[in-house]
Amino acid sequence: MILSDLLTAKVFDDAGVRLGRVIDGRFALDGRPEAEASLAQARLVGLLVSPHSRGSYLGYERRDLNAPWPIAKLERWRHRGSFLVLWEDLHSIDDDGVHLRAGFTRHDIRLG
Amino acid sequence: MSGKGSGSLADQATGKSSANLSILGVALGILTAIGGFVDIGDLVTNAVVGSRFGLSLVWVTVLGVVGICIFAQISGRVAAVSGRATFEIIRERLGPRASLLNLLASFFINLMTLTAEVGGVALALQLASSVHYLAWVPVAGFAVWLVVWRVKFKILENVTGLLGLTLIVFAVCLFLLNPDWNHLFNQATRPAVPEGEAPATYWYYAVALFGAAMTPYEVFFFSSGAVEEKWTVKDLSQSRLNVLVGFPLGGFLSVAIAACAAVVLLPAGIGVTSLSQVVLPVAEAGGKLALAFVIVGVLAATFGAALETTLSSGYTLSQFFGWSWGKFRRPVRAARFHLVMILCLLVGMGVLATGVDPIKVTEYSVVFSAVALPLTYIPILIVANDPDYMGRHVNGRLLNFTALVFMVIILLAALAAIPLMLLSGAGA
Repeated sequence: MILSDLLTAKVFDDAGVRLGRVIDGRFALDGRPEAEASLAQARLVGLLVSPHSRGSYLGYERRDLNAPWPIAKLERWRHRGSFLVLWEDLHSIDDDGVHLRAGFTRHDIRLG
Repeated sequence: MSGKGSGSLADQATGKSSANLSILGVALGILTAIGGFVDIGDLVTNAVVGSRFGLSLVWVTVLGVVGICIFAQISGRVAAVSGRATFEIIRERLGPRASLLNLLASFFINLMTLTAEVGGVALALQLASSVHYLAWVPVAGFAVWLVVWRVKFKILENVTGLLGLTLIVFAVCLFLLNPDWNHLFNQATRPAVPEGEAPATYWYYAVALFGAAMTPYEVFFFSSGAVEEKWTVKDLSQSRLNVLVGFPLGGFLSVAIAACAAVVLLPAGIGVTSLSQVVLPVAEAGGKLALAFVIVGVLAATFGAALETTLSSGYTLSQFFGWSWGKFRRPVRAARFHLVMILCLLVGMGVLATGVDPIKVTEYSVVFSAVALPLTYIPILIVANDPDYMGRHVNGRLLNFTALVFMVIILLAALAAIPLMLLSGAGA
């Protein structure tokens, strides 16, 4: 599977309630010292789910990025209520979309 | 419009050098920026506007020049700091879908502009030779390809930029025409819709002029040129100087073109529909010698812009798809980049071969440029604020504020362009 298969897929909780769509994947580079981080395998930590938009967050999920102010505001409004769901909390992926496990956790989407 | 990538030319060529040489480098960069500023869109739109509205739309040229200064400077900085072209970062940061919109809009406008520029080269050759322009189209297209394939980036940019300086003959001829300066000044400072023209037409041409000054290919070319010339943070002050001095002086040439048309063509009731009418005031004021100068200038301006738009077609597509690109690589190392440029030139020549009027293509290209402006400039503004790429060189507050004010103007122009086109019958 490649990430493009998941992007814009619908996301459901265990009861089948639609929560939003996958707008991005969150990766971690680990297992290597910082100087060699670029050699590390990227590990998929989880998926970013946005209830209102299927568009990209344009980088404004990072806490330190607030400029230009109106665009930052607009993007945060467009993606209000979005959350990070860890890969462990995925139950299954099928043609309908991504199904989450019962009792999954909504993590803060912000980085940094 | 060129002048873009004209980094620190002389001092780079000779290594870290004396103050004399770096003054030469600064001068060369600025001169290239001036001469390269004008392209077929500016030539035609300014002459058309001058012949119908006098100088009453000069404020739009001023606005457009300020706008292009802001955004060219921003994208030059992004390229110098990150070592990567703006569009590469847009693709990486905004993701494939958001940047695809940006790509499609920019690419098609660019292709249209490319067509207009090659047509402009052919028209200039027709002026010089009296051979029909359609016969010159294949020659022009082939010449553009040959230069893009063989000639070093710096040379192609500087030669066309410096030769383009001969367009200064428009300013010289304006003095020779001995116009009523007070009258011109009043037109420029108290803009009003002239009698007999509909407000929708006035505003349609306002949008067209704005689009001509801010055509999207400029920033792609500018930032890719910065990578071609391997700019670093050290080159920032030079690039800022090129933009902030060179472009306004280039804008001054645009105003001179409009003013010449306002003095000669407007009173005579001649509407500009061909390149010969664009240069008519120069011929009237300065005779054969001036005409020779202006033909060289038009040829250099359109040829330079044809090179830039051709390169930009390769830049945008290659940067989106992650292909290797650039004149700094041998063509065999950037095969798809060169193939795209060849195909785009063929498409442009094919469009011209249908007999469509290059002047009309130009007029539509500047208006559609205006439509595409937000898609080009909003992403640039976003990446220029991204500390991951820019470190401490992110946009300052004042610059962001100014850029956002421009973004509002750009959005208004983009939204108004098509309705105004329909209302005014494309300026008829």
